Amino acid sequence: MKAALIGLCVAISCVTLRAQEIQMNLGPAVPASKVHVQLLSNAAEVKAGEAQVVELRFRVEDGFHINSHTPKDELLIPTLIRFNTGSVVKVVDEAYPKGSTFRLPVGAGETLDVYQGEFRVEVKVVAPKGSSTLVGVLKYQACDNAVCYPPKTLPVVVAVTGR
Amino acid sequence: MQKAQQEVQLTPANSAATSADPSDDPAAKLLLGKAAPSFTLVDLDGKKVSLADYKGHAVVLNFWATYCGPCKLEMPWFQDLQNKYKDKGLVVLGLDQDDGMAVKEVAAASKRVGVTYPILMPDDKVSKSYQLSDYIPETFYVDKSGKIVEQTIGAHSKNELEADVQKAIASGGM
Repeated sequence: MKAALIGLCVAISCVTLRAQEIQMNLGPAVPASKVHVQLLSNAAEVKAGEAQVVELRFRVEDGFHINSHTPKDELLIPTLIRFNTGSVVKVVDEAYPKGSTFRLPVGAGETLDVYQGEFRVEVKVVAPKGSSTLVGVLKYQACDNAVCYPPKTLPVVVAVTGR
Repeated sequence: MQKAQQEVQLTPANSAATSADPSDDPAAKLLLGKAAPSFTLVDLDGKKVSLADYKGHAVVLNFWATYCGPCKLEMPWFQDLQNKYKDKGLVVLGLDQDDGMAVKEVAAASKRVGVTYPILMPDDKVSKSYQLSDYIPETFYVDKSGKIVEQTIGAHSKNELEADVQKAIASGGM
């Protein structure tokens, strides 16, 4: 079934092409209302045995923000991905996007560095030929204008096909 | 300009709280009019602090966490109100909701925010007895008789906080 869906996606050109990278987007894996962040990319095709950039796309639920990877305040919890060690897919580098400025609309208006809407993390991987899986968790902490939610983790599971 | 900013009504995006102010959500007022659940927690010095210690006082119970920006906006205002209404018997208690954070880190955070009122370390039993949602800040205003006279979720303006403090002070006279 999954293979059929992937095939359909390819057929209707819902594939994001980048240099040395093919990425397939199959929609959210978990309801946003519970977790505030969705993983939009769950499959990628790379050249086997070579370091390749896989772009992981995430979406923050409308009306919410999460801290960027480099929040301005050391008390705030940065967004980051922890990849499982021991996987056959080797992660050799990660690049997080810059955050955008968000000002709390009350009092002096503390300025935060956040991700809102869609953000993309570039992960450089080396994958073997054939099918394998990149596994990790996105660690984040979400707020809206008025309240904050406890730190949460989102499973990151990406099917990687080495050609 | 500052005053105008303080009048801003913050609107959470939480889908569970459908009204403009999450405190208007009926589910957010479950304890309103009821006796504040008793508790004993430890403060940053390891000293036991019980709600019963403040019998006859108006008490503000503010649930917060170090990662919560809106909480840290409100807390200096609670400190101001504590100072302003101390002679009327107001007590503010900050109940930390961080999970697994060391006392010294919580102490450093509260110092940075500029509060000197007691900060109490978390206990799941207290969170449950106060039927907290999974978001903060949440604040309970307890009158002198120990009854909860106001319950709010989310950061509110300083004027709103003061109005709720005044309600707690004026109610339950002994």
